[in-house]
Amino acid sequence: MSEAQLATPRHWSAQRERGNLLLMRFTAFAARHCGRRLLSPLLHLIVLYFFLTGRRARRSISDYLQHLAAWSGRTELRPTPRRVFAQFMAFAECLLDRLDVWRGALRFEQVRVLDPDGLRAQLLASRHGGRGQLLVGTHLGNLDVCRALAELGEQVPLNVLVHTHHVAHLNRLLGEAGEQRMRLIQVSELDAALMLDLSQRLERGEWLAMAGDRVPLHEGRRATVDFLGRPAPFAQGPWLLAGLLGCPVNLMCCLKIAGQYEIRLERFLDAPAWARGQRDATIAQWAQRYADRLAEWCLLAPQQWFNFYPYWDAADA
Amino acid sequence: MNASTHAALEQEIAQLIIDTLNLEDLQAADIPPQQPLFGEGLGLDSVDALELALALQKRYDIRIASDDRDARRHFATVASLAAFVASQQAACAH
Repeated sequence: MSEAQLATPRHWSAQRERGNLLLMRFTAFAARHCGRRLLSPLLHLIVLYFFLTGRRARRSISDYLQHLAAWSGRTELRPTPRRVFAQFMAFAECLLDRLDVWRGALRFEQVRVLDPDGLRAQLLASRHGGRGQLLVGTHLGNLDVCRALAELGEQVPLNVLVHTHHVAHLNRLLGEAGEQRMRLIQVSELDAALMLDLSQRLERGEWLAMAGDRVPLHEGRRATVDFLGRPAPFAQGPWLLAGLLGCPVNLMCCLKIAGQYEIRLERFLDAPAWARGQRDATIAQWAQRYADRLAEWCLLAPQQWFNFYPYWDAADA
Repeated sequence: MNASTHAALEQEIAQLIIDTLNLEDLQAADIPPQQPLFGEGLGLDSVDALELALALQKRYDIRIASDDRDARRHFATVASLAAFVASQQAACAH
């Protein structure tokens, strides 16, 4: 590897995009044609291959465990080869569960919903003339399980904002899988046309969902926050959108705890807004609060951190 | 649209900019129709533009197609915004 490559870790979107598309195709195919029992050994082999060949991914998980252990003071979380490997295996498990979700084999009744703020009722209410809200998810745990939300939301359309360029293709896959209510919208940069579109969707009672823990492609629009005791770049996008649209923002994550999926829903901001001249400071504050919450969730399921790329500031390493 | 209603629309939009972006120390008359809103002129930035677009949608029900390459130009000045709003209203009237 050249020095330049070492100096600038590849962006996750470059790394993941192709993989994700292939994975989704494979998952959609496998979901239709084979069962979990058949796929389990195959997937574990694939993950083992990635573990053995993915030095960068191993290193990234090791860094994560290191920071998590230091920040929480829980020395038993410190990275060992076995623990790093377990993280990869947890990912294989997660992929298999995703497959079940796609096949509809994971029923909503099997998922526990922790919803202290009554967001589920609000989701249902937006079917009858209420305004939509924003859901910010994370790559801790299994976001796909939150698709079950579409089921519990019944007819409430969910727009998922993503960075990928393969939106048309993925939307077709979703359609083929019989998914009517979920729609992907590509957001690489916020422009006026997109803003107006999103705002109208909210007014129609549709909800918007996006990940809060992936930094955007472009250098701008990121805030450096303290995450697990170290500076890490976080996306400004979700919080920018929240402030502009002025709609309630909720956090969402789905962790597998003791073999059972738990969807956590909680209110994060009631009416996001900033004062003139305070925009960047306000967004940085929200990003920090989000990172703090994410850190607490990491401790609930340390093995389910599935960001397999350098997450913290390279300068800090 | 005659000259006086056009001037009134420009003033309305200048006021909307002030209200939306909390430019409390300014008055509508402080934003001449031809003054650039972004960069050198009033000093607004791209996020202000998004806020403005949402406010215009609420007030005038404007629409911007995602393939509209002129979107940026519409937001250049109060005059161009007024022309844009007027053209949309005219389109709706037909």
